[in-house]
Amino acid sequence: MDDTRVPVGTEEAGAAVAEAQRARPLRAYLPVVVTAVVLGALPLLIGDSRYFLSLAVLMLVFAGYGVAFNIIFGNTEQLFLCLGALAGISGYTAAILGNRLQLPMLLGVLIGALLSALLGAAFSWVSVRRRLGVIFVGIITLSFSLVFANVLLGQRDLTGGETGLIIESAPGVVAGRGVGAYYVFLALLTVFLACHRWLQRSHVGWAFRALRDDEVAAELAGIDVARFKLIAGVIGSLMVGLVGGLYAYYEGFISPSTYAVGQVDIPVLVMLAFGGIGSLLGPVVGAAVFAVVDELLRPLSSIRTTVYGAILLVLFLGFRHGVIPALTGLGRRVRNRRTPRT
Amino acid sequence: MAVIFDGIAYGLQLGLLAVGLTLIYGLGGVLNLAHGQFAVVTAIAATVLVDVGLPMPLAILAAIALAGMLALAFDASLMRPVYRLRGEARVLLSLLLTIGAAFVIDGLLIYYYPFAALNVDISGSAVNVLGVAMRRGSLAASLLAVLALGTLILFLRYTRRGKAVRSVIQDEEGAQLCGINPARVRTAVFVLSGVLAGVAAVAEGLTSSLGATDGLDLTILALIVTVVGGLGSVAGALVAGLLLGIVYTLSSFYIGAYVTFIILLLAAMLTILVRPSGLMGKGA
Repeated sequence: MDDTRVPVGTEEAGAAVAEAQRARPLRAYLPVVVTAVVLGALPLLIGDSRYFLSLAVLMLVFAGYGVAFNIIFGNTEQLFLCLGALAGISGYTAAILGNRLQLPMLLGVLIGALLSALLGAAFSWVSVRRRLGVIFVGIITLSFSLVFANVLLGQRDLTGGETGLIIESAPGVVAGRGVGAYYVFLALLTVFLACHRWLQRSHVGWAFRALRDDEVAAELAGIDVARFKLIAGVIGSLMVGLVGGLYAYYEGFISPSTYAVGQVDIPVLVMLAFGGIGSLLGPVVGAAVFAVVDELLRPLSSIRTTVYGAILLVLFLGFRHGVIPALTGLGRRVRNRRTPRT
Repeated sequence: MAVIFDGIAYGLQLGLLAVGLTLIYGLGGVLNLAHGQFAVVTAIAATVLVDVGLPMPLAILAAIALAGMLALAFDASLMRPVYRLRGEARVLLSLLLTIGAAFVIDGLLIYYYPFAALNVDISGSAVNVLGVAMRRGSLAASLLAVLALGTLILFLRYTRRGKAVRSVIQDEEGAQLCGINPARVRTAVFVLSGVLAGVAAVAEGLTSSLGATDGLDLTILALIVTVVGGLGSVAGALVAGLLLGIVYTLSSFYIGAYVTFIILLLAAMLTILVRPSGLMGKGA
């Protein structure tokens, strides 16, 4: 779902506007800038409350995961049910390197994220090579997530098993859990969003759209489907790795449940279902709504699971493309009715 | 040798669990990720009915009937929009919707019955000599599984309705041309898979216990078996169930539980990579 607001008029007008937008790139990045400014002002609203600040950071973390999943799944239909595991690989790598070899945070996170990207590349490559359907990619990546969780539990010496791992880092901006950490995650998210926008506008975006509409037709039109799937897989996994690694340092403590399927993949799925799969700002809106809803539902204990299940059902039954695109589509229709067509 | 027997017994249970999942997939190209929840609902319903005062066999029958009804409700509500789609989109929507439904069921069951667990004790005396009591339970479970699976195979092979099911699996349009209503067949098989999940729950209750939190684990086990056997192949699910059951018991006896689960998962991954159609599936 491309949400550059091209007013739906005649074909020519649409093409002209698209042309103008390409000439004025600032316009295309406006949603990214607005998001950054709005979220940048959020700490002023929150004030000194550490609690709400940590909620806001969690929202940014999930928005980051969401953008990555959006690039992988929303653009190229590769159902990666291993976001948590990819984030965890990076998180545990960074933590273990930091604890044992005293590697600085940034280096550890970078190495971890590169590992995640490598793994994502492997999944993409394998699924393209073997021409795996959506569910098979889903099952393979889900199996990997479960294998990863079990290895974490089994390798106690390295990972601390179920009790988890405390990250003994020097105090820094991220580990300080203050407003600074919030802005680090916000900067990362802004870069992600800009990157996604840039991808959408480049030839990669055209290829994504083509292969999402009809993979066979795209291939026949000379698009190297394998290459673009690989690109999406690598970029998305790199993003997941960066967020997952930084989050480990932010929390100061990680355990298998930090990166479990139920803790990462499922919430991201719910958020994206809400925000709209494939849309630029969908993950941000989804994560924001999710943060609020999750907080409101906290007293409900296990009924929370039921509510999330119901949300998923309603979203996928009623709004196949997410609530935000449905709303903007409605707005567009209203606007069109008001301006008489020439 | 006792380990092998245990493995076969467990394998039969796995096959029983997976066969419902694979039937629905073969028939409608639909993946039901709430399959384990059907089993759990059966287990919880049976324990609740026993608590109310029903004798165990009656409670179990009623609980299995409830699983069938739940499956019917699924088919009449969630599956409607799914069947309107085709190919990949259909599998994807079915997967997402049934995950949602699984969460709804899980949350409710864990909230209302956190400690209920089906435990069918047929040894009579409570604390028994360890091995013997278990042996009896798993023997009964195996018998139950063989009975259910045998009935299923006879049904598919020799009855008119069973043949209708197989014809829809082979060629939906062709079956339709022969006057078979695929939608009706799909509904019947969905209910059948719910009932099979219910029977699997009873088998599980005979050998160990089944509680509110076990749904997802069961679904994943069933999925692994189904994938290794070949999505859509009933015979494949049985063979893979037996194979993985023996591997599981041997491995957890000699190596350890956590490595065992990894081995099963790797088996599923490897199957997808090497032979996506599974052990007994039709060639890709």
